[in-house]
Amino acid sequence: MQFSKNWLKDFIDIDLSTETICSQLTMAGLEVDGYEDVTSKITGKDSIIKLDITPNRGDCFSILGVARELSVINNLKLSLPNISSIDGSFREEMKVKACPEGPSYFGRTIRDISVNSKTLPLIAERLKFSDQKLIDPVVDITNYILLELGQPLHAFDRDKLRGNITVRTAFNEEKIKLLDDQELVLDDSCLVISDQESAVAFAGIMGGKESAVSASTNSIFLESAFFKPSAIRGKARRYGFQTDASLRFERGVDYKIQEIAIDRASILLRDTVGGRFSEITSSTLKNQLPKQKKITLDLGRSNDLLGTKISKQVALRYFKGLGFAPESLKKSSICAISPSWRYDLTIEADLVEELARLEGYDSLPQLSLSPVYKKIKLNSQSHLSDLLSAKGFNEIISYSFISREDHDLFGEGVAALEVENPISQNMSVMRTNLVSGLVSTFLHNLNHGQDTQRLFEIGNTFFLKNTREVYEKNTLAGLMNGKVNEDNWKEKSKDISFYDLKGVVQDLLREFKGPFIFENCKIDFLHPGMSSLIKINNKIIGFMGSLQPAYLDRLGLSKDIYIFSIELNGLQKNTSSSYKEFSKFPSSSRDLSFLLNKSIASSSIENVIESAAGKFFKDIEIFDVYEGKGIEEEKKSIAVSVSWQSTKQTLKDSDIDSAVERIVNSMKKELGGELRV
Amino acid sequence: MNLDSLKKKISDLASNAKTEFGSANDKLEVDNIYRSYLGKKGEVNILLKSLGSLPQEKRKEAGKLLNNLKSDLEKTYALTNSLLNDKANLSRLEKDKLDISLPGFSSRKGSIHPVTRTIRDVCDFFEQMGFDVEAGPEAEIDYYNFEALNVPEDHPAKDMHDTFYLNNEGLLRTHTSPVQIRTMEKSEAPHRIICPGKVYRKDSDLTHTPMFHQIEGLVVEEGASFAQLKGLLNDFLTDFFGEEVELRFRPSYFPFTEPSAEVDIRWKKNWLEVLGCGMVHPNVLKNVGVDTKKYSGFAFGLGVERMAMLKYDIPDLRAFFENDIRFLDQF
Repeated sequence: MQFSKNWLKDFIDIDLSTETICSQLTMAGLEVDGYEDVTSKITGKDSIIKLDITPNRGDCFSILGVARELSVINNLKLSLPNISSIDGSFREEMKVKACPEGPSYFGRTIRDISVNSKTLPLIAERLKFSDQKLIDPVVDITNYILLELGQPLHAFDRDKLRGNITVRTAFNEEKIKLLDDQELVLDDSCLVISDQESAVAFAGIMGGKESAVSASTNSIFLESAFFKPSAIRGKARRYGFQTDASLRFERGVDYKIQEIAIDRASILLRDTVGGRFSEITSSTLKNQLPKQKKITLDLGRSNDLLGTKISKQVALRYFKGLGFAPESLKKSSICAISPSWRYDLTIEADLVEELARLEGYDSLPQLSLSPVYKKIKLNSQSHLSDLLSAKGFNEIISYSFISREDHDLFGEGVAALEVENPISQNMSVMRTNLVSGLVSTFLHNLNHGQDTQRLFEIGNTFFLKNTREVYEKNTLAGLMNGKVNEDNWKEKSKDISFYDLKGVVQDLLREFKGPFIFENCKIDFLHPGMSSLIKINNKIIGFMGSLQPAYLDRLGLSKDIYIFSIELNGLQKNTSSSYKEFSKFPSSSRDLSFLLNKSIASSSIENVIESAAGKFFKDIEIFDVYEGKGIEEEKKSIAVSVSWQSTKQTLKDSDIDSAVERIVNSMKKELGGELRV
Repeated sequence: MNLDSLKKKISDLASNAKTEFGSANDKLEVDNIYRSYLGKKGEVNILLKSLGSLPQEKRKEAGKLLNNLKSDLEKTYALTNSLLNDKANLSRLEKDKLDISLPGFSSRKGSIHPVTRTIRDVCDFFEQMGFDVEAGPEAEIDYYNFEALNVPEDHPAKDMHDTFYLNNEGLLRTHTSPVQIRTMEKSEAPHRIICPGKVYRKDSDLTHTPMFHQIEGLVVEEGASFAQLKGLLNDFLTDFFGEEVELRFRPSYFPFTEPSAEVDIRWKKNWLEVLGCGMVHPNVLKNVGVDTKKYSGFAFGLGVERMAMLKYDIPDLRAFFENDIRFLDQF
């Protein structure tokens, strides 16, 4: 809300600089967005103050509300502008009828208004300062009252109303055309003002087109009503709009101000458009009006909580100024009553806040919180990030929602959680892995000249089970391409291969309890011959591999990119177990080279050798794999270095010889491998 | 042969050997010379074998002389070797002159995202104060995101949170506050927790991204007070920015705290909002069954990107999610 500073002077005798006023308001919880000095043609030096009002303070959506705050802060008297009633000169035949959701309704007819009249200059100027468009004198006055007192008013063309007026819930599928020409289909959660034929206004939100005041209007019917916040809340928003009236009604309008507002408007109308005023007709369901709440505050406890020493006398003064009709009770207690304009006061804590903000948050004392000793858990996630960062990976953070197209490409055909109201179609599906974010980040950076990239991300992925249940997996994924190392002035680096990727993955997995199994896999976007699943206890926890050539084509890439993904949720940290003493005796090793079928995985060779190598077996290392010239087409040569060691003795050559013999025999028997000599 | 001629031979041999050793240029030559004198078939051995031709009584003396010769030559050999080594080292020192200004062969530099860095900085501070780091789901349900936090259906406060709804009738959490509720539900008070994480709001412009990060803190203890909240946040902001910062607390509104406050810091002359906080609303404590007679609590929440922008002087929020390596490499 924005308003002219001088307008406040209609309510309080305030003589402070705009800056001081703004700072007072901000520090009292009415945040000032900014102000602008202007010159009023009528009142001279003025400023436009812009307020950002929190939803709990509907009462401050008016000059009256803001003035009330300033009156308490500066200990000034708050007085309403001179409001007297105009006695009606005739009786309105039309009856009005309130309902539980709209329990208070006041109206009056004004006949023979002057069509050529003009809005009073002061009103026109204040409306302009409040960024309100000038429409016609009648509507301008209703807008003026809305700003001044916070009570939305509506003027109907009296001659367009048929029969009596009732406030009622809409019928299902009831149609209404509003002032701004939009046509709505309502349901029975909406409140309308209705004549005997149809709805003439969307209650508390906007008037209907058909009964609107126009240039040819001769008589108006002025409405000043109270609708319950619950009846208005979310209604306009459901149809995608909001009005000054709905904003106020849904936050709560003073339910005792309707008559004052209609009186105030009447005087301004008389001075502007003239006309003959009917008696005020009204309908109020007293027991349906909000209840004023009696709240007891224990000032001692409040002072403890705030760390303050506010005296009872000061507290009573604050509450009186705010209109809480406070009463001093025994000991340190005070009883206060929530005024009809405050909807945010229901419990003791609400009163504590009032004291705190009037005292000034800044002046409240400050105490250090004493630390409590707790064992800090080592966060494996930051450990993994540090490890990858040390390996040259840049951490990225990409959006959790991706495009349908990317999900189809990289989503592994998994059912996805979808955003019903996405910001754009490119952000409509919750990711089921981190691949698309890595790939698009890669492409962005490639376009900016980064030929070799190492990227990783740690983030949640989302899965939908049985259409309702969601489970999230904390996932670590990375992408790498290009060279193993950076080229330097001495040598050019090689391109990375699958085994560089696997090396990274293995280094990461070393942080967790294994054993991890690698198996060939079929994932649409990975090259079937250059990819692997990562499993533990027969459960798939990740994958790695090079992007499918067809995908590379699609992305316009000519060189391989490698991707890995690991679910972190189920993994157990490899906490260091106790120290194992290493042998004091030398180890012995033998290099053996076998000729085998190409299709035999090196892991099975390792397994066979390990189980044949005997009890002193220590380690096996593959140091050469060769295919090609000098070897049969379907064969490969694989060279291993096997080592043995005992903790009790130096091993004899004969021990080793017999182990080698067992290995050679097993290799032949189980894998058809021939020892190459 | 007699003793005198042997003596003469020994002295000739000694002087020849020394000359030869002296003029040797490398280890190979030295070893060859060594072998020609002291090897199995070397000169010294030949002389030793000839001792038999000496009379018995002279043999002892002759033997002694030969042994002296042998050890003399061994010493010369060792000396020659060490001189040669010194010479070789000297010439290496002269020859091996690198251009030390050429760049070293360093490996690629990686980086930790500034958002992650900021989360770590913040959590480190609070962990040292005895806070546990907690996490919760990002795909939430209305109860945890709104209802349990005292935000009823249709409440205007929901306008402050433009919510993304999901096709499972759930929503993407609009703040990290649901973690408060989940933590208080699953464990008994007292609580000190800090919860970093991603949050989502339907907002996208220069100063908003539809996904961003928040850190939520919660303290529920006997005697938790607003004064402690002020003190804690003051200490935290000083720690985070590494210097005393001027801050102010002003009243604000959050449905889940009462009193509520917004914390501004003085930044390049202007007041800048960095934190929201307040005493936990009694309704929230009641919703999770905390005894409000015994315990009070306070909570605070901050935007990670905002804090990172201030700390690292990053002008554009969207840089965080563009992940340009030229940006990332700076962290």
